Amino acid sequence: MGLLTASGVVAGYTAADEILKGVDLDVEPGEIVSIIGPNGAGKSTLLKAIAGILKPSRGTIVLDGTPIHGRPPREIARLGLAFVPQEHNVFGTLTVRENLEMGGYVDPAHTAERIDRILERFPILAEKRRQMARTLSGGQRQILAMAMALMVEPALLLLDEPSAGLSPIAAERLFETIVAINAEGVAIAMVEQNALQALSIANRGYILVDGRNSMSGRADELAADPSVRRVFLGGEAA
Amino acid sequence: MLTEVVQLVLNGLMAGTILAVPAIGFTAIYAVLRFPNFSVASQVTIGAFAGYVANVTFGLPAPVAVAFAFLVAGFSGLVCDEFVLRPMRPAGPLAAAIAAVALTIVLENVVRFWFGNDLRGYDLPVLRDWRFAGLRVSPQQLENGVIAIIAMACLFGFLAFSRMGKAMRAVADNPMLASIKGIDSVAVGRLVSFVGMGLAGLGGMLLGLDTSIDPLTGFRAILTVFAAAVVGGLGSIPGAVVGALTIGVAEELSLLVLDPAYRSAVGFVAILLVLTLRPRGILGERAF
Repeated sequence: MGLLTASGVVAGYTAADEILKGVDLDVEPGEIVSIIGPNGAGKSTLLKAIAGILKPSRGTIVLDGTPIHGRPPREIARLGLAFVPQEHNVFGTLTVRENLEMGGYVDPAHTAERIDRILERFPILAEKRRQMARTLSGGQRQILAMAMALMVEPALLLLDEPSAGLSPIAAERLFETIVAINAEGVAIAMVEQNALQALSIANRGYILVDGRNSMSGRADELAADPSVRRVFLGGEAA
Repeated sequence: MLTEVVQLVLNGLMAGTILAVPAIGFTAIYAVLRFPNFSVASQVTIGAFAGYVANVTFGLPAPVAVAFAFLVAGFSGLVCDEFVLRPMRPAGPLAAAIAAVALTIVLENVVRFWFGNDLRGYDLPVLRDWRFAGLRVSPQQLENGVIAIIAMACLFGFLAFSRMGKAMRAVADNPMLASIKGIDSVAVGRLVSFVGMGLAGLGGMLLGLDTSIDPLTGFRAILTVFAAAVVGGLGSIPGAVVGALTIGVAEELSLLVLDPAYRSAVGFVAILLVLTLRPRGILGERAF
């Protein structure tokens, strides 16, 4: 069994409006999985259902052998799953250091030592540790959001459109950071609008269309698939 | 004339320091629970009477009795929130605010039933005012100001340095993200209800130490408390302090041109001005 297994997940923001209509997703330990698809396909909704923000009306979600569907986010966080939302993913009125403390809220015994490690790893955060998070640039905020997620040493990191709103250079650096985090053994499931870049760093990919699985497979094969390139990547494979 | 103005400013700063205590309670509750909890008024009254019982019935000195006022009002606020206001919150902030007004009326009548309508005073030593450079300061006013400053310093220390205080600020800033990070927003809500209402009760006793108390003590204070919170920036704790000092000084200075009977109009005018010119208040909606 994989690290995360979602089967037949049906969920939406209201009972009458099902955005996910039976989605399956598997994430193996240590891999990067990219979830791509057109706007409104339910990519972010899937991450929210896994993180416990939305309660699935049907289907199961199992994290490392433990069913997590329907559990509140704080219980899921304690089980080793960290979610980084697309927007409002840092506490703007708290300092960078305080944000990291809140990132590790569920495991206070290791907070101080982990903050030291994080600040050593991300010098830009060390430099700005006393600044309010709202004063950071977009790229710095995304780094802080991911650093907060790493405070619980998660087995699985869910990233919702991490490069949204970033300049190409900042997005490039962010993807390098994602690869570096994954190299340490953290599995990553990532929703991205920038499909080509997302598939280029992923082991596997899923394509969602209209709340259902459309395609899935190895990321390099998906990136080379002419139909995928035509629909999502804007051109034929070279 | 200049001495008179300085005296009024001094009085206003003293009054503002005391007013800041319940205003912080009100704004902290607003920041975390996202509705204007007007039942702060009844906890001001309950705190004032709890302090009265501690001070007059049990003979405790005023600085000890204020701690009793804090605990009783805090506990009362927590119980009321748990059983009356929390069930109303899913219906929206307006429903919760209306329920808070109704709760205030009920609680004030409970106090009236127990203690009657008479004005009551605390058991305080009679001390001569201190005079310097033509200005007068009462030792009791000064003691009240010191108690208020200590209470505020404790709260700021709690919010700045304790894990739970930071969690409270995190929930005030972004409740959804706080939940994702594993912070129990219900527990934080209970804590803010206890601390916020405790501060309201402590403020109620400080207000009473300066004058007298009756079951309408909180009802009379709530407009000024609300004005202080709005002027400073609803949801901002430093804003509540700035707002309280502004309202305190403005109320005193209004005496230069207004009959004292119209003093409470200053709160209305301040709310009107702020909502017209700077709706976010002086410091905006910063949680801390």
